Amino acid sequence: MNRYSRRQVLRFGGVGVAGVVLAACGKQANVPESENVVSVGVTPSKVTLPNVEVNDIVLLRTAASLEYNAIDTYDAAIGLGVFNGAFMPAGEIAKRLRDDHKGHADAINGLINKLGGEPFTCGNPRINEVYLSPALELITDEANENPALDVVVLAHALENLAAQTYQGVVTMLSDKSLRQAAITIGQDEARHAAVLAQAINPGLGGILPSVNPDTGKPNIAAVPGAFGPLTPINVTVGPVAADGSRTSLNLETPSLNSLIYAGVTCG
Amino acid sequence: MAFHRQNPLMSLRPATTPPSRADIALLAFANGAEWAARDLFAVAAGLAAFSDEEKSVLVGFHDHHRAAAQSLAGLIGSDAPNVREDAVYNAFRSRLSGSDKSAIYDALRELENTLAATHTSLVGALDGTAGSALVASIITIQARQSAVLALVAERSLNDALTNDSVALTPGATS
Repeated sequence: MNRYSRRQVLRFGGVGVAGVVLAACGKQANVPESENVVSVGVTPSKVTLPNVEVNDIVLLRTAASLEYNAIDTYDAAIGLGVFNGAFMPAGEIAKRLRDDHKGHADAINGLINKLGGEPFTCGNPRINEVYLSPALELITDEANENPALDVVVLAHALENLAAQTYQGVVTMLSDKSLRQAAITIGQDEARHAAVLAQAINPGLGGILPSVNPDTGKPNIAAVPGAFGPLTPINVTVGPVAADGSRTSLNLETPSLNSLIYAGVTCG
Repeated sequence: MAFHRQNPLMSLRPATTPPSRADIALLAFANGAEWAARDLFAVAAGLAAFSDEEKSVLVGFHDHHRAAAQSLAGLIGSDAPNVREDAVYNAFRSRLSGSDKSAIYDALRELENTLAATHTSLVGALDGTAGSALVASIITIQARQSAVLALVAERSLNDALTNDSVALTPGATS
């Protein structure tokens, strides 16, 4: 039986580890090089981020992008063909609200033009990516039992998001006339949200805040309080999971990572 | 473009600026108009025409106007009149009577629309952003209340979604 001393074991082990490290550092055949994988002696090229400024034009371009998010969502909802039977009136409301958003988008882009900015004529990519696409995917899931209701729930959340965004930018816009223009549209969005809230939770009982006695969760209210909130908007849509739960998304107003800066284009 | 951690827009908001001397007069007018609306909803909620459930909604709107008036007073302190603007009250008071609920709802909707239009014009005039932020948060609620009043009166969708009312001019009504 071979016997190795403790010193020999450590020596062999060290050689083995060094070999593995060297092999990992070396180039390998048929493996493309990546700047993200740093090798000894190779310095990744420095990527300089552009300086961006949050100014009135950026805020208005962001508002315009939300209008297109809404237009696209209503178009998608109408295209689903779910507004039948009891939901037929919701389909008519959706068309009217979509047209209102087109008017808002034109008005906001008109202001951007006057300020010398580049109008923005498509949906906010970040809002699409993190909120709308996942929500629409859940809504159109084959296992979802009530896509028509979920579409209205999503639209309600989106209208609240728009109202909050316009309300929130009032303190960020430097020009007083732009603040007035923003809240003029913001109150339109608030009206949209109230009408959709009544479609979801109709009647007098759905106007002021209330709690569902079965779930303990707040019901959707047309008038959620004495002051317009600026809090995340919870929206629950999609099929019921095996444990009885449904997916919830928290929508938040656009921020640093979702503003439409000067360099952002629709392409 | 850099993508950073998702932050709500609120975190971007610069520090608000306090009301200027000119702002105080405008916010004082808004304070009086909100007290007038509070009193008008109190009148409506006391009418026998309405059921208890309808009255609870009217009382809720009454409370919202009271909260708006109190917050405006909190912003301008001792400069707040803290009494109702009689011109606003008198313009609507005579329409809040009888048993025609739809007509009363219409009057209250016009009141909400008038206040929303008035506050919107204030946002375009206020120098300090503390005032414009507060008024903006009041506007979105009054727009909702207007829409709801159109729906409970069974008016058209267009009635719920539009505001044709003219803004009041501070000083011209008192």
